[in-house]
Amino acid sequence: MMKRKRFLIFLITGMLMTAAGGCSVDQKTAGDSLPEEWTDLTLEHSMKLLYANQFSIDYYTGGFTMIKINDGGCYLVVPEHETVPQSLPSDVTVIRQPLQNIYLVATSAMDLFRSLDSVDQITLSGTDASGWYMEEAKQALAQGKMFYAGKYNAPDYELILSKSCDLAIESTMIYHSPEVKEQLETLGVPVLVERSSYENHPLGRMEWLKLYAVLLGKEELAETCFNQQMDRLEAVMNQKPTGKTVAFFYISSNGYVNVRKSGDYVAKMIELAGGTYVPQNLDENANALSTMNLQLEAFYAAARDADYLIYNSTIDGELNSLNELLEKNGLLADFKAVKEGHVWCTEKNLFQETMGLGRMILDIHEILTVEEPDSSDVTYLHQLLWE
Amino acid sequence: MSKKTYTRYGISFVTLIALICLLCLWNINSGSVYLSVQEIGTILFAGRGEDIACHIVWDIRLPRILAAVILGGALSVSGFLLQTFFANPIAGPFVLGISSGAKLVVALTMVVLLGQGIAISSVLLILAASAGAMISMGFVLLISSRVKQMSMLIICGVMIGYICSAVTDFIITFADDANIVNLHNWSMGSFSGIAWDSIRVMAVVVFMTLLMVFLLAKPISAYQLGEVYAQNMGVNIRRFRVALILLSSILSACVTAFAGPISFVGIAVPHLMKSLFKTAKPILMIPGCFLGGAVFCLFCDLIARTVFAPRELSISSVTAVFGAPIVICMMIRNRRSIS
Amino acid sequence: MNNDYIYTENMTVGYGKTPLIKEIEIHVKRGEIVTLIGPNGAGKSTILKSIIRQLDLLAGTVYLEGGPMSMMSEQQIAKRMSVLMTERIHPELMTCEDVVGTGRYPYTGRLGILRKEDHKKVQEALELVQAGELASQDFMTVSDGQKQRILLARAICQEPEAIVLDEPTSFLDIRHKLELLTILKNLVREKKVAVLMSLHELDLAQKLSDYIICVKQNAIERCGTPEEIFKSSYIADLYGITKGSYQAELGCLEMVAVKGRPKVFVIGGNGSGIPVYRRLQRQGIPFAAGILHENDIDYPVAKALAVEVVSEAPFELIREETYERAAALLKTCGQVICCLSEFGTLNEKNRLLSRLRTEPVQG
Repeated sequence: MMKRKRFLIFLITGMLMTAAGGCSVDQKTAGDSLPEEWTDLTLEHSMKLLYANQFSIDYYTGGFTMIKINDGGCYLVVPEHETVPQSLPSDVTVIRQPLQNIYLVATSAMDLFRSLDSVDQITLSGTDASGWYMEEAKQALAQGKMFYAGKYNAPDYELILSKSCDLAIESTMIYHSPEVKEQLETLGVPVLVERSSYENHPLGRMEWLKLYAVLLGKEELAETCFNQQMDRLEAVMNQKPTGKTVAFFYISSNGYVNVRKSGDYVAKMIELAGGTYVPQNLDENANALSTMNLQLEAFYAAARDADYLIYNSTIDGELNSLNELLEKNGLLADFKAVKEGHVWCTEKNLFQETMGLGRMILDIHEILTVEEPDSSDVTYLHQLLWE
Repeated sequence: MSKKTYTRYGISFVTLIALICLLCLWNINSGSVYLSVQEIGTILFAGRGEDIACHIVWDIRLPRILAAVILGGALSVSGFLLQTFFANPIAGPFVLGISSGAKLVVALTMVVLLGQGIAISSVLLILAASAGAMISMGFVLLISSRVKQMSMLIICGVMIGYICSAVTDFIITFADDANIVNLHNWSMGSFSGIAWDSIRVMAVVVFMTLLMVFLLAKPISAYQLGEVYAQNMGVNIRRFRVALILLSSILSACVTAFAGPISFVGIAVPHLMKSLFKTAKPILMIPGCFLGGAVFCLFCDLIARTVFAPRELSISSVTAVFGAPIVICMMIRNRRSIS
Repeated sequence: MNNDYIYTENMTVGYGKTPLIKEIEIHVKRGEIVTLIGPNGAGKSTILKSIIRQLDLLAGTVYLEGGPMSMMSEQQIAKRMSVLMTERIHPELMTCEDVVGTGRYPYTGRLGILRKEDHKKVQEALELVQAGELASQDFMTVSDGQKQRILLARAICQEPEAIVLDEPTSFLDIRHKLELLTILKNLVREKKVAVLMSLHELDLAQKLSDYIICVKQNAIERCGTPEEIFKSSYIADLYGITKGSYQAELGCLEMVAVKGRPKVFVIGGNGSGIPVYRRLQRQGIPFAAGILHENDIDYPVAKALAVEVVSEAPFELIREETYERAAALLKTCGQVICCLSEFGTLNEKNRLLSRLRTEPVQG
């Protein structure tokens, strides 16, 4: 029918129009000096990164710094009194210093900000008070210095705008709600998607400290902090492996065992601490995730003879005793580590305290080498015993 | 028709339009940030600007209000069409399986692309949802040409719903929890974060479709007497069926694509309008349902975003809380009038 | 064929692909009522549904006003033919006036809004079916009979030249049956509308139709004028009547006759015997009847219900042999009932019969 044809054409055109509606790059050009041409600027030097490989920092003339995140975009940090250069490539997001009101959704970055003494610069949070383990964050929310801005996929845009937010630091979960990222950018808030969870070296995760330091202009403090951690780990990292095997897992609600892949940073931490991670060679499922689900029998086969078991409590809650562990699955009673009493459980704050990864490596080393470690020596783990 | 009925129609329309204006004003004045009525007035008249209040009014509140009006109206009209066509008081815009098809393709997109680490834009999700909805619709159209009794189509729609859910679950088993947590959120529907570009597209689609539905008012009212009499009065039944399925599906698909499946509006509002106007004439019901749906959605959206701010309730839960009692009352009333 | 308004040429009808009735030829002229009769399931509704295009034809063509219906647009057909089918309709929130108003659709514009003259026609149609006072009532609240009249008004409002009705009087009481059919008859006479319908009420079909078509066992068995068709024996055969009988002369049904040796002799005539015959049948008493002239009104009923009837040729005096036969029969019966109080010249012999056993009239 003619009517129908005409109408279908309209519909298709209409839909193509949306696709054409593009994203805007906010170019605030207020500044004290004349704008320079981007192509005139030259690369001076790049930051030396020891373990991180998901980002790079390049320093250009004029005090401009370019942060490149793997698969995550380019961000140009413009110092306070500088003008934004012209003819920037369209995929570069501009972040102006100083950053006073950051909207932080990626909880793992909070610890890094704490180490940089910059919690005050975070004004909006994607997690409310009950979701934070860090005292500083809880206090800031209670005192009204930080505000809860709603869940990451449905934030309170008005609140964000009213606090003059100048940067949103999101985790990769934001990719599931692309309209939120687009809306924030339309409203003039640059969005930085942090990908520290894709680092496969635990110290690489910690090295993201330096990225945030660039944003905050505190590179020296970052250097000092990081080197401190490195010194403490020096001794442990140079030791010979203990030969003990360790499994790191949790049991999901539909009965699967979720383990880290062999190239994951937790597996690396265990290696650095002198242990051997089991199950081994788990990289066949080559997707972007760092964990995978195993059927119970596969896990049984791989980890029954493991010397140590560490249960990951961050997803579904801490366990307090071996009895609770066996309630999850009775078959675990068969495991060597359970029989020998070498079962540990992580504390909930583990993944929020990114700076503590070094400490965590020391913890693992401690439990691998000392038969009955003192609980004060182990910060992020507690032993599971029979009730 | 008596003067009384004309007066009734007039008053009903005026009431609806007044309610829309009232709710628009209320909506534009509510939000986490306090803006006085004067400020808002100045901002609206001055046009776009750079300061925060401008952004809040123009980029956050206004698109949301327009989305609620347009999509709420689209849902109600779609619900009215399907209720008349199937002579079934609980038929709704998604009875033909439109939202299940959309959810399937969205799940596929999320799992496949995000699983590979490829970023997706909101436009892609909109297109994915539309594609899924259109596939469901195509399926239904195919079956409608082979089936004599139209009530079979509802069964067909329910079956499509089940099949799509099953396939979606199948897809989900291959995905990690992280990748599909948002699928659940998507399927609850939301007016949050709708941009002006989307508003333009949905306005064009919805108003064009509404115009065509309005032009079908005569065959629809013939159809209210049943297929036999409608055919005898000159309605080409085959073409009418296709047109009706197509138009109602486009309206539902539009809503699903831009805001996700929003439940209950399409079922409850036509009944509300029928008791308000005390008639089921399509010429009155089509604009009436559109206005009624706009009012209902504006109200529910207001509640969804202000009651527990900064947390947002999902729009489907609010519409269900208000819509389900209406459906129940209506069923009770029907039962009473039958006995 | 030229002046046929509706003409079906070699039509085969059925559901799906299986043919039910083949080679149907129906002629309906303007100003004529054609009725389909036949047992349940014979295919009457199928034929009517196929003519109004609710079912697809398996073969053949239907001609409307000389042209094939398949070539006509829906609107052209709507202006010429309207229907009244058995299906119940459930319009929501429509007044009776609204329902009738839908009949004007072939004449209204794009949006179907009724103009002044349309409203006038609606009123006229309502008056015609005597439902004027129902106009503003909700359709679903009126009785079945009233609904049927409203639907007829709707069909009339469409200003058709042919109306097709499928058992239009099914839900109506006798008053409304008569009214509806009278209205139809008037329409036919005044506006020369062609009417094609199916009826279960044989008596009405007999009286109303100009032409009867008998449908039985998926075939058109016979067609003709009512005089040709309505013979008791044929009707019994058409409907497969085994219990009871149908009296074509009077157009009434009689129950099964009680068998056995007659216990009562009923002297009747002039209509007085009928109630007695029926009472005896009800009570299960076999009886004999006489002496009845064959043109007496009691005669057909007596033939249906009595074990034996003594009859005389019409308009003749009762002959002696007949009288003897009756007397003999009377003597074998245990009881005699005389229904007559007066006797005339022609049936003087009945007075004699009645004196054979003086019994008071019972009954």
